[in-house]
Amino acid sequence: MIDEPNSETRENPGAEPGAAGSGLLMGMIILTLLLMFLGAVYFDRHSGWFNKQVYGPYASTSQLEEYQPKSGAAAAAAHGKQVYDTVCGICHGFDGLGKPGLAPALASSEWVITKGSDRLIRIPLSGLSGPMQVNGKDWSLAMAPMGAALSDTDLAAVLTYIRSSWGNQAGEVTAESVKSVRTTLGARPQPLTGGQLKSMPE
Amino acid sequence: MKSGLWIFLAAFISVGGSWLGLVYGPVHQLGGAEQTTVLNSTDTYPLQRTGDATLGLQIYRANGCAACHTEQVRQTGVACSVMLTDAGKTPEAVTNLISSLTLTNLIKEDADKIADKIAAAGGKAEIHMLATGPDIARGWGMRQSVAEDYLYDLPVQLGSLRAGPDLANIGVRDPDANWQLTHLYAPSAVVKGSAMPPFRYLFELHKIGDMPARDALQFPKDFALPAGYEVVPTSEAKQLAAYLLSLRANAPLYSAPISP
Repeated sequence: MIDEPNSETRENPGAEPGAAGSGLLMGMIILTLLLMFLGAVYFDRHSGWFNKQVYGPYASTSQLEEYQPKSGAAAAAAHGKQVYDTVCGICHGFDGLGKPGLAPALASSEWVITKGSDRLIRIPLSGLSGPMQVNGKDWSLAMAPMGAALSDTDLAAVLTYIRSSWGNQAGEVTAESVKSVRTTLGARPQPLTGGQLKSMPE
Repeated sequence: MKSGLWIFLAAFISVGGSWLGLVYGPVHQLGGAEQTTVLNSTDTYPLQRTGDATLGLQIYRANGCAACHTEQVRQTGVACSVMLTDAGKTPEAVTNLISSLTLTNLIKEDADKIADKIAAAGGKAEIHMLATGPDIARGWGMRQSVAEDYLYDLPVQLGSLRAGPDLANIGVRDPDANWQLTHLYAPSAVVKGSAMPPFRYLFELHKIGDMPARDALQFPKDFALPAGYEVVPTSEAKQLAAYLLSLRANAPLYSAPISP
């Protein structure tokens, strides 16, 4: 069966076909708007509104913020351990007990658990040479200035880690005190001997 | 053409809308991506590749590696676990407390609550956060890939088909240049049943002269070369290996926080 031409064409054969009056168009518009609304809801719930930091499984900036590793003491300790394991642990042992013939123990060492932190900060910054007594044992080895290349925050974090691990319970080392010691030492400090170090303030 | 204006508007809106969504949106969102710092550290991430590795990206591209390998790790969730670091002065109380609690596979909120409980009992605890998902279970990475990982890739070699494993962290997973080169020369010599075609035209088979070449490949014992011959990588092979070793997308970042 052939469709009958509609009344409009019959009355006015020159006119263009139009979509006016068709109920379908309104339905399409409503459907499109509904889909756009659902899309916007999806973005709101899943992407922190196009925030470039927010990727899937995190749904929003606040959730991402919640999942950041805690800053402050816990994060500094974690970072300090990381620096220790890459810079210090190879000689001083990952358990802080030292290695015979390589480096003395840091656990309960009288050089580590001092009241102030300035003397300890000098050791990684200028290095050591010559004889030195650590907990009653004689050592005569050289230590390179391993900490000279570390940033103030990294060195502070690793010293804090050393002073608070393996039973050590000395106070925190701040980046400011590392900075001030570094300034007093100057650009190319000479390696210290045990005697020199002892004469310096804690 | 009495509806000419409407046709123009409809075309304008559909083309313009696509441009907004597919070009302007992504550029606005990620076009300004720049170096960032590794979490809880002062290290910059990512660092520019070395010259060899930068050229290696073009060798990777020229040989169609991205047809079978992706460089994108997907993540579906996060699992937190609480680790006791110090039992404090009343170890019995703390051990009794933690024996009654689930300490792994938690959401962050619950992990925080448990850490607070342990702190109240006199102990110290750390919260570790691990990314989870099928790609991470396969050992392809520690976290998902984010925009910063591709900052120095031009063009980015995302890939869409995984006939081979994902390579986003291949420099962490196999940091040995000789392994990478041997694998390119004869994949099945180092990976049993590998489906990867050998890329032998990136190497030269030489007769050994007075002494073996310094950078000749070290093959596993059961791989037999013709007697008196050695395999020397060309500069292309070395650049490709340098690029592969530079693929190390595992630093914890603000947008992909992990604390293993």
